[in-house]
Formats: sequence, structure tokens, C-alpha cells
Amino acid sequence: MLKRGATKKARVMSLEEAVKTFIKDGCMIGFGGFTGFNRNPTAVAWEMVRQGVKDLHVMDRHGSVCTWMLNAVGAIKIYETDWMGWGEMAGKLDVNLERNYKAGKMILEDYSHGAMAMRFLAGAIGAPFIPYYAPLGSDLYNPKYDALGRAGLRGKNPKIPKLKFQEMADPFFGAGNVMLLPAARLDVAVIHVAQCGEKGTARWRGIGTIDKEICFAADKVIVVCEELVPEAELRKNPENNQIPYFVVDAIVECPWGGYPSSVPFYYDYDAPFMRVMDVASRNTEDLKKWVDDWVRGPKTWEEVMTKVGAKRLLDLKADSVTGYSTRIMRGKKPAPRMKMPLSVARSGY
Amino acid sequence: MAKTSEELMALIDKIPDEPAKSGEFILPELMAIQIAHQVRNDDIVFAGTGLPMVGIMTANMLNAPNALLIYEAGICDGKTMHVPMSVCDQRAANMSSSLGGLVDTFGFFLQQGFVSLGFLGGAAIDKYGGVNVTSIGDYWSPAHRFTGSGGNSDIGTLSKRVAYIILQEKRRFLERNEYTTTPGWWCWDFKKNEWRPKKEVWKGTPYADSGPVAVVTNMGVYKFDDKGEIFLETFHPGVTVEQIKENCGFDLNVKNVKGETKPPTYRELFVLREFVDAELIFLPQKVEYPASIQKIING
Repeated sequence: MLKRGATKKARVMSLEEAVKTFIKDGCMIGFGGFTGFNRNPTAVAWEMVRQGVKDLHVMDRHGSVCTWMLNAVGAIKIYETDWMGWGEMAGKLDVNLERNYKAGKMILEDYSHGAMAMRFLAGAIGAPFIPYYAPLGSDLYNPKYDALGRAGLRGKNPKIPKLKFQEMADPFFGAGNVMLLPAARLDVAVIHVAQCGEKGTARWRGIGTIDKEICFAADKVIVVCEELVPEAELRKNPENNQIPYFVVDAIVECPWGGYPSSVPFYYDYDAPFMRVMDVASRNTEDLKKWVDDWVRGPKTWEEVMTKVGAKRLLDLKADSVTGYSTRIMRGKKPAPRMKMPLSVARSGY
Repeated sequence: MAKTSEELMALIDKIPDEPAKSGEFILPELMAIQIAHQVRNDDIVFAGTGLPMVGIMTANMLNAPNALLIYEAGICDGKTMHVPMSVCDQRAANMSSSLGGLVDTFGFFLQQGFVSLGFLGGAAIDKYGGVNVTSIGDYWSPAHRFTGSGGNSDIGTLSKRVAYIILQEKRRFLERNEYTTTPGWWCWDFKKNEWRPKKEVWKGTPYADSGPVAVVTNMGVYKFDDKGEIFLETFHPGVTVEQIKENCGFDLNVKNVKGETKPPTYRELFVLREFVDAELIFLPQKVEYPASIQKIING
């Protein structure tokens, strides 16, 4: 359980040790970043597959490279989320997830993106639930469609709420009916950031998605970073830090550990690689081969990146000005070099 | 010698803002520009990944330069130079006013009521603009399971105006959805167990009057009447009203048809092709400009 009223002492450890120590079979876990594109803690999911972690209850706002990989080996038993896709324009639906679900191998609990964000906010601030104008009349709030309730899972695990939602008339301002949503509470949160100090203070650049909320909503927090830097350096500009050290349990330094998603100002996402993953997931044999080639074959994350190859990594290296790469071919034509967005040129500031 | 982006930028006002002729543009271009036309200059827009994002970016570079674009993952007023492949793409964060997370976008911006236009996709839509992005068939053992809501049901109900882009097929235009992810102007009231107007179900909330106003498909553009029922406003060039009725699963109101959808102009196409999706990520191919336009571009 979450130990309140005390700071945690984060330890710097290897990928292997962090997974072995904190991620158990059947645990409730959430991953940081956004879909398959931004700051996915891919290396952790990769190591989880290698260690054979199973029966997971993933609570997340949407799929990612992490859930795609875990689904590929059937490691997810309960998936409580709002968007079962993962790759957006590089492979929208997790085809294998749909296959596993239709075969009755897993439970899906549907919410919406805003609802999951609010649930994590409630989890993060220690509130038991949160009111949200979640859509009345949506089948998301059809009393018949409660997957965890149907499976008899409510009220047993203390982290699984007794109800999926509770509709209530606004008692304070009389502003219609509002949905009370239960706090999202995790056993483990895993995020991937740019820099982390040896005490655990963490910093990312670019969007925050829901990383801070999931860290505060979890009992255990694993922070994977591109660079382990002196804590004192991060304290020189504390306004740029997002995660205070006292919630962090494990720090793992793993350069390129977010691949094939992007880490802004470090590297871009590898859309062609994601498209190959998407194609592989379309039949079980290709998928198994992909897992053998990319997950079970290489012995370390460094070997994975060696297999990706230096040329690709050079193309993905982010520009220090924009935070992304203008050298990677994402579509059929190379990216134009630009000094100013047209929308700014035409409207000015 | 290929022109630089800055040289191309200087040409925009020289490209005629006149409708292109049949064969000079492709359907995805027409659809993207139709999306752009829904955006007003003072809009705060919250759009989903894909063609909606491409359309609103185009608007931001043309008819609605002051529109503020929100991208789901935490981006406020992103000013893109390169088309994002996701709403969390660092490309969308370029020159933004502020960056945050989902609590910012869904809480501070959306639930707080700032968003005036939501633009979304959908797998199927009903007569009253209710959208399904969840599943086809029985919910527990579906014939097809899609991604599920994502931000669709939030953005589609808490934005003042909502517009959708949907592929038009008989099985996607329905009297009633099998699963309603995002309710339209009529929805199920689970308390009373009946199908009722959204305005009544949502009575008292700040969003009772918010809902779908337009739908863009590969065949036409639709609006909603006072009763919340969808009607055909324009049909795309080369498509007949009869064909549209055949590709609709209910008796479509075609009494208010204004005529053919206005084709994109050369200037709109120029901006879409050279500045929005120059990398050909969303658009399948680069279409040649007619000689008169190419001459202006060549200088």
C-alpha cells in the first residue's frame, strides 16, 4: 500500500531489477506518455515480456507501444481504459487486442479519455471520486455495461471500485446531473522522462499528458530516464521539474528506452517501425515472429537499439530547436525546412 | 530548383482563390477543405487525429488564422510547421501558448466550457448525430471491436458545436446506433429508460444546447435541423442525391439541399499541399496543378 506521511528513498537500478522488484503478476499498472507516439516506457514493457509477467490489470487512458507488446504475449487480463488503439496514424487499432478480446481472453472496461484523466486526477489528489460531466446518454454509462461488475471483480481487490460510476444531481449549484467517477489507483506507475536526478527528481520536455497524475495515484513509481544527471543540476531550475523525488521508488537510466515512441528533444518516433508492428499483429504467426525477433532475441535493450541500426537512429535524432526530427521520412516526401509556421506568418502575434 | 517554404509562402496571395475544376483535386482534399470551412476565426477548436486535424490546421493557415487549436495531449494553440501524426506529436506543440496534460485539455479547457468547436471522426452515426466508435454487434461479443471513445464522447458533448467526418456507407448511417459512444441530439435516458431529446436529458447542465452541427462525408455535407435531425445540405461533385440516399440506412431528409459542395479553391489546395501535408502522410498523392497555377508557382 501507499505509504503516506513519509518520503520514499528512490534507488537507481537496472531495468531487470526494477521490473523484478516492483512489477508482479496480476498487479494494477499504468504507463506514462501518450499513445504510441510520446514518451512510452517501452523498455520496461519489453523487460516485462522477457520476465514473463502475466495477468496484468492495466489501467490507462489508451494503448501504447507498451500495451501493444504486452498484448502480443497475452499478458493483459484486464484492460481498463478509454482507447484500445495504440499507433494512431501508424496503426490505429491494436489488431491483436481485438483478437484476444473477441476470443474471451481478456476483460475490457470502457471509459472516455476525459473520464480517465479525471479518475487519475482524483487518484493523485487522494480524493475517493470526482464529479465530471461525463456524457449522459452514452452507453459508457449504461448500467448494463459494467465489465468488471459482470466478471464479479468489484468489491474484492481494494483498488477496484465497488461501482463503475454513480450519477448524481448537482447538490450545490443545481446544474443538472453529473457523473461521479471513482479514483484510479495503481499498484505501479511507469513513466519515461528526459532527465532524472539520483534522488528521483524528474524532468521532461514537451507535453505532460498524465504522467504526474499516475505517479501520485500509484503505490510504486518507476522512472526511466534518457539521462541520469546530478540531482543538484536539476535543482538549479526547479520550475522545469515535474516529478518531486519523494514519490519515486526506482530510477532506471535507459537511453532510447522510449523507442519507437518519441522523447521530445532527444529523438522522434519511428512511424515506419510502428507500421511494421501493426502489419505483424495482423496474424498470430507474424506476431510471434516479431516478438521472437525484437523482444526475446536481443539480450539487452542496447542490442535492440543496435538492431534498429545507427542510420535510423541518426535520422530520428531530434533537432535541438524543434524537439523533433526533420530528417526522418514519415510519409512519401521529406519534411520541408521551415523557419516559421504559416499560421503565425499570416496572423502574427 | 525547388522553392523554399519561405518563397512558397510569399506566393499564397498570388494564387487565385477560385474554385478548382473537376480532376484538379482529389476527394480527401475536398473533405479537408470542407472541415476547414467549419472553423471560424474566433473558434477554440479541439480536434481528433487524422483528417479533422489536417482540416483545422488548414483553416488556421487560411480562413481562421486566429482560431486557437487544442490538441488532446496537453497542447494549447499549437502552431505547426509539419503535420502531426498524433495529438501528442511534438510537431503540434510547436510555438504553443502553453503545454500541460489531459487535466488541462479536458478539464481547464473543455469541461470549463472554452471549446467552441469539436471536430471528430466516427465509425457510425445515427439520425440525430449520435456516434459509435466502440463496437458493432453485441457489446459483450462484438462482430467488430473498435478503439472505443478516446476523447470522442467528451469532446463531442462538451464542445459548443461539434462536427464529424465519417465514411458514408449504408451500415454507418443508421436510424439508431448499436452502441452510442457519443450521444447526439436524441439519446437514451437510462434513468427513465426511454429515448429522449438531449436537451431534456442534459437539462440544467451547461452543455444542454451543445451538440452536432455538421457532418462531412465522402459524399456530401450535412447539417442538423431544429429537431436535431440530420439533413443533406450539399452533395460532392460527381455524386447524386440518389446515390447518397442509397448509402444511408434511414430515410434521409433531402428537402433542404442547396446544391453541389463548393470545390476547394486553388489557394486552399496550395496551402493544403505545400504547407499542411507536404510530406504526404494523410494525402495519398501529390496532385499536379493546372498549367496556369504551376506557372505562378514557377514564377
